[in-house]
Amino acid sequence: MPVIVGLLAALVIAVGCVDYLTGLELSVSLLYLMPITIATWVAGRSMGNLVALASAGVWLGADFLERHTYGHCFLPVWNTLTLAISFLVVVALLASLREANEGLEQTVARRTKALQAENAERRRTEEELLQTLDDVRQTHAELQHTQLQLIEAEKMESVGRLAAGVAHEVKNPLMTLSLGADYFLHRKTENPDEALLAQDMKEAVHRARNVINVLLDYARPRPLQLTREDIHNVIENSLTLVRHQLNKQHVTVVREFDTALPSLSLDRTRIEQMLVNLFINAVQAMPPGGTLTVRTFPSGDRAAPAGVILEVDDTGHGIMPENAGKLFEPFFTTKPPGQGTGLGLAIVRRIMEIHGGSVHLGNREAGGVRATLHFNTQLKETL
Amino acid sequence: MNSKRILVVDDEPSITRNLKLTLESGGGYQVLGENHAPNALRATRMFRPDLILLDVMMPGMDGGDVAARLRADPLFRDTPIIFLTAIVSNEETDGHEMLNGGETFLAKPVDIGELKKTIQEHLRH
Repeated sequence: MPVIVGLLAALVIAVGCVDYLTGLELSVSLLYLMPITIATWVAGRSMGNLVALASAGVWLGADFLERHTYGHCFLPVWNTLTLAISFLVVVALLASLREANEGLEQTVARRTKALQAENAERRRTEEELLQTLDDVRQTHAELQHTQLQLIEAEKMESVGRLAAGVAHEVKNPLMTLSLGADYFLHRKTENPDEALLAQDMKEAVHRARNVINVLLDYARPRPLQLTREDIHNVIENSLTLVRHQLNKQHVTVVREFDTALPSLSLDRTRIEQMLVNLFINAVQAMPPGGTLTVRTFPSGDRAAPAGVILEVDDTGHGIMPENAGKLFEPFFTTKPPGQGTGLGLAIVRRIMEIHGGSVHLGNREAGGVRATLHFNTQLKETL
Repeated sequence: MNSKRILVVDDEPSITRNLKLTLESGGGYQVLGENHAPNALRATRMFRPDLILLDVMMPGMDGGDVAARLRADPLFRDTPIIFLTAIVSNEETDGHEMLNGGETFLAKPVDIGELKKTIQEHLRH
């Protein structure tokens, strides 16, 4: 500001000198407008007024030094006054123009800022909308998945109820048959066929009772009895239970165990029941004989495994594509009548689920089927 | 000839009939079969059984109710009861203290050998 004031003062004085030097005949009064307009435009109304008054004063000084003679002593004062008023009017007009300009600039700046803020807000809203859309899509997908699970669960529950009802209703007539067969079996008869017939009836009842027990086991699984077990001991025990079938069908067992695996909390009886189901399925899929490979390894980080993977491979005929989606459905079987209840794999899945694990079946590239069981290291404590 | 008397209570006539035939011919027991719980309660006082085979799920009065009535009668407080049930489950025995009081349960269809053995064990005491 002091620099501007100094420059303006110098300019006013310079114009005053020019005014003085040019004499009375050459009027340069309008040159005073130069510092006045500069002062007003650069430094505002107050500085403009100040320079206007100073310019009028300098004009009067120059006039006095030129020894201008007037008819009346009041005339120089009058001339100075009108000049000062004219300068002040110019200052007022220019200052108004400057302020209007500044106001306009401020308005433009304010509106630009508001527009920028609005645009930023719009962009943020748009991003939020896109995010919400993604969330909605994800929620929709989850909802569909849950709905499918719910339908599946309801289906399973209906099947369970049906199985329990059927089992209950069938047990009474079975008991009548069992008692009748037993009566005839122990009755002395001379016809050996009668005894044979009674024995067949007893065995038929026994088979039917086993089917019903499987049905009930599926329909109303018992609560888990969890103990810490080495999975390999459980596998070995299950293999012992099916040893007869393995030998009979010339199936070779290959063990690929990771013996460093952690112990698992599981219901040993039920896991054995599940593995026996899987082994029997594998054996039945290899009528001319083959290889049953049982493999264990950790899932995730080997140092701190999230779980244990158990794979059961056979070298049988594999899964037909049309059956792939139905394998775990209760009562679905590809075995001849009388050789399977169709509940084996449904029970496998249920046992894995109540253990908090999962099971997957698929064809191997080399031929045959691979059952992949995933056990969590930390299992559910209750059903 | 075994003089022990067994009352069989089951709403299925074919079961009472077959059990009677089997236990009388194969075990020498005197067997009375009843298909209605109230009739069974009346028959108990006349027949004075040494052991009762009792179905759990029956229409009207179930096995648990029959057992509770019998246990309330000083005459039959110590008479052994063997429950025969189509499904042995918690749901069936819930709410029946009598059914949870350490009685013997056999699941239908009962293996006759196991039934005879259980009867002999109870009658021996």
